[in-house]
Amino acid sequence: MRVPRRRRWAVAVPMAALALATVYPLVFTANVAMKSRRDYILDRFSPADSLRWDNIATAWTSVGLGRYFVNSVIVVASAVALLLLIGSMAGFALSHLRFRGSRALFLCFLAALFVPFQVVMVPLAQVMADTGLIDTYPGLVLAYVAQFLPFSIFLMTSYYSGIPREIVDAARVDGNTLYGVYRRIMLPIGRPALLSVGILNALFCWNDVLISLLMMPSAEHRTLMVGVTSLRGQYSDDIPTFAAGVLIAALPVLVIYLFFQRQIADGITAGATKG
Amino acid sequence: MLVGGAQPTAGRPGAERTGRTKTPWRAQGASAGTGSPRAFGAQRAERLAPYVLVAPAVLVVATLRLWPLLLGVNYSFTGDGARDGTSVGLDNYAELVDDPLFRTALGNVGLLVLLLPVAVAIPGMLATFLFLRVPGHRLFRSVYFFPAVLSPVIVGAIFNLLLAYDGPLNSLLEKAGIGAVDWLGDPDVTMFTVVGVHIWATFGMALVVFLAGFSTLDTTLLDAARVDGASLARVIRHVIVPGLSRTIQFVFVTTMIGMLTSMFGLLYVMTSGGPEGSTYLPEYYIWIQQGQLNRPALASAASTVLFLIMLVVGLVQIGLLRRAGREH
Amino acid sequence: MKRPALWSVVLVAGLLSGCGSAGSGSSSGTADGTLVVWDWKSGEETAASYIEQAKADFAAEHPDVTVEFVAQPFDQYYTLLGTAIQAGKGPDVMLFNGGGQIRDRADALLPLDDYVTGDRQRLAGWEAFTAKGKTYAAPVTLQGHPLYYNKALYEEAGLDPDSPATTWREFTDDCEAITEATDASCLALGNKEGFGIQFFLSGLGPGVLTPREYDAWIAGDRDWNSPRVRRLFELWKETGDAGLNNDGANSTALFNDAFALFQSGEAAHIVGLMSDVGHWKDFGEFLDPDDIGVMPAPRAEAGAEPVLPYDGGIGYAVAKWTKKPALAADLVRSLTSKDALQAFYADAGAVVSDTTVDVSDGGAALSAITSEIGAGKPALHVALSTETLDLLGRLSQQILSGSTGVDEALEQLADSDRKG
Repeated sequence: MRVPRRRRWAVAVPMAALALATVYPLVFTANVAMKSRRDYILDRFSPADSLRWDNIATAWTSVGLGRYFVNSVIVVASAVALLLLIGSMAGFALSHLRFRGSRALFLCFLAALFVPFQVVMVPLAQVMADTGLIDTYPGLVLAYVAQFLPFSIFLMTSYYSGIPREIVDAARVDGNTLYGVYRRIMLPIGRPALLSVGILNALFCWNDVLISLLMMPSAEHRTLMVGVTSLRGQYSDDIPTFAAGVLIAALPVLVIYLFFQRQIADGITAGATKG
Repeated sequence: MLVGGAQPTAGRPGAERTGRTKTPWRAQGASAGTGSPRAFGAQRAERLAPYVLVAPAVLVVATLRLWPLLLGVNYSFTGDGARDGTSVGLDNYAELVDDPLFRTALGNVGLLVLLLPVAVAIPGMLATFLFLRVPGHRLFRSVYFFPAVLSPVIVGAIFNLLLAYDGPLNSLLEKAGIGAVDWLGDPDVTMFTVVGVHIWATFGMALVVFLAGFSTLDTTLLDAARVDGASLARVIRHVIVPGLSRTIQFVFVTTMIGMLTSMFGLLYVMTSGGPEGSTYLPEYYIWIQQGQLNRPALASAASTVLFLIMLVVGLVQIGLLRRAGREH
Repeated sequence: MKRPALWSVVLVAGLLSGCGSAGSGSSSGTADGTLVVWDWKSGEETAASYIEQAKADFAAEHPDVTVEFVAQPFDQYYTLLGTAIQAGKGPDVMLFNGGGQIRDRADALLPLDDYVTGDRQRLAGWEAFTAKGKTYAAPVTLQGHPLYYNKALYEEAGLDPDSPATTWREFTDDCEAITEATDASCLALGNKEGFGIQFFLSGLGPGVLTPREYDAWIAGDRDWNSPRVRRLFELWKETGDAGLNNDGANSTALFNDAFALFQSGEAAHIVGLMSDVGHWKDFGEFLDPDDIGVMPAPRAEAGAEPVLPYDGGIGYAVAKWTKKPALAADLVRSLTSKDALQAFYADAGAVVSDTTVDVSDGGAALSAITSEIGAGKPALHVALSTETLDLLGRLSQQILSGSTGVDEALEQLADSDRKG
């Protein structure tokens, strides 16, 4: 099925415009980060007259983004590891094993997907404070796991539902216990889904401001995005420094995306097409 | 069928019939159970295995989602300020019902649900064109995902500038003779603006899913359609949509979740609920009552209402999709 | 064979206990010899020397106490504070905006009256941090709402920049001259967040209300049906209808888009601030400092006597739950010591609460402001509850767009004010 040549171009032009529109904000941000505050206030859109790196340096040093960067890596990596482990275990059980309450349980996880974080925001902070987990890495990691687990379970269950029963049966006949099936069959076979669940969760956690801020009120434990937002005070109009911070925070994500582009696509879609 | 397919096999009557043996782990357990205590232990371990596998997930969700939720419900029956800590019955709920702002917020949830088909159709159309290899499709495919990696806070800040009354979009419109639109200042327009930006920021994800769906499409059908000289519209209706029903369902669910749970960041940065309160969503209402207005108990009541509504919306959606799935 | 499940249990347990020490309560401020301060200022470059001075002042008396400043993002500040208050745990000292924000949370704060008696005379702006007769914070800055104007635009329009309008009539005439002769709008208005109306009320209200009615409003006796209050809201509508504001005022953010309009000469007047941003120093970076004029509110009604509206701007308070109230109060005193405030003025251009700080080098606009401080009065909007201000913001947008009339708005505001 091919569209006639002229029509194809008629579609391609608006699509190219859309492509520009998706890249422009990044270009804009990079441009602003190269401007002085004065130039920015006088004209936001004009190209920066030179490559100034002082905003980047200021953003990095003034609130100590380097430290927050490390915090983010620690927290995001731990949260993603836990999400993958817990999510794939539950996904395997919910898709291939039958046990009492499994159906209701799956519906519960699914329903949890539709609840915005703000609903539990305050009582969760309370629970964390009561258990002494507030302002600790484990506290934030657990908060992330709680927030994004339903989505991980959803994706993993979808993916595993597409794995034929026969594969599991065969492994059982070979003498594997269920844990063995999980470890030797489901984990390796689930790689594409695990990869995409991992990357998506990493993205969510990395970009999160609200949860992190509430769970880590003290400065030394902040994550990168919170650090970047704190570059703006109540009134601060030093947007170029903020833009520089934004750039610093977005860079690792972009690099990872460009690196894993193919896998992300395969993984996200795994649940949607198989099964 | 996605949602149906994702449900536990045990829940489907068909699963047992199609399975060639009995449920495998039970059969295995029986054959291993020759009576020795060790085998008995192994058998019990096997029987408990599913529970052990879901236990961490249940534990986390129960303690960090469900328990706080219940605390919040409990808290919503107490008062704020001078009445802090005392029981006030349903007063907070009564106040919510009376608050036009909260009603607007709920109305906007309805609007989001109505706009859902648009948010699904746009990436669907784009994916169709990419699949049909419009010139530059490779480039578009990588680039369209870009906004999905940016935080909503950043996306919102940038669109604030682009959509300002004296911003570049309006000057473009004025040059074209259409005239300026107050994208973020006209209460009849702003909610659509924010939803538009949300779609812009997330369509890349749905697009990727659609593209993968296309890759599983039966090409012989498409070729047949081409031989018949069918128009694009007919091909989409009769070949692509039925062939991609599972993918479309998946995108529906994920897009819905995105719209109902993660618009906060954009709203916060782009409109703060304004103008005239027209872009309030319940989660923003909760935020304002809790933080700015120092009414945590009222915020808890709003949270409870929102949770119940989302539960209903979610279950209805799941039910609808499952029925649709069965028909295919 | 249970290994995967075991791993996860071990991992979770490890996270819960083992690494728990990673974050042992640095913000709870319970550790001996540490005071934790929350604010949104200490991270700003222009506040660095102020914090430095305050720390030095405090260290001179308490050399063994560590003070940890935590700069929070302002956007989420009060939500963060709210959760801390609910949990009954948090910083020892925290920054507040004067007015509703601190009054609403007075229950969680320590009354400072006994600690700050020595500073009473030296500092101004205490009222904004007072609730039910008790003082809960010591003012650091003064925040007011002078009406700034751009003298260069006046000249361009053929007006005398040294004798700005004194009546509303003259003011609208000048506006007409300015919009005709220049590309600028008469007023820069940013009402996206609903802040524009607050500045308008406070900036222009003194030109409408009689001193008696003004004082009664501040004291809490507000008659929303009085003709003068109605007149004030009609002025708000008039300026919109007559096109005195910039286009798209309801989608222009006050911070900092409206200020940018004035800074770049695209608007001739603005009700600005005295401290922080949108103030004389900020404007002076972009306009010639000699071109920045400050005028009293034009008189719209006979019997009004325009004064400079100002209050305490920001101030540090002490949490009720602190284990070291006397020490925390001492830190608050250091944060309002003369040397610290002098540094804050010098670097940030803040009009500080200490009226003995020498500001003679600040230029004409600043001296025009400071000379009025003695006769000034609290700003009208600061007296309102946060809930009423929230409603005011939405109603003001509706009045501008025409979807609500002045009468209806006043009725709703009266209701809300009664409840608050």
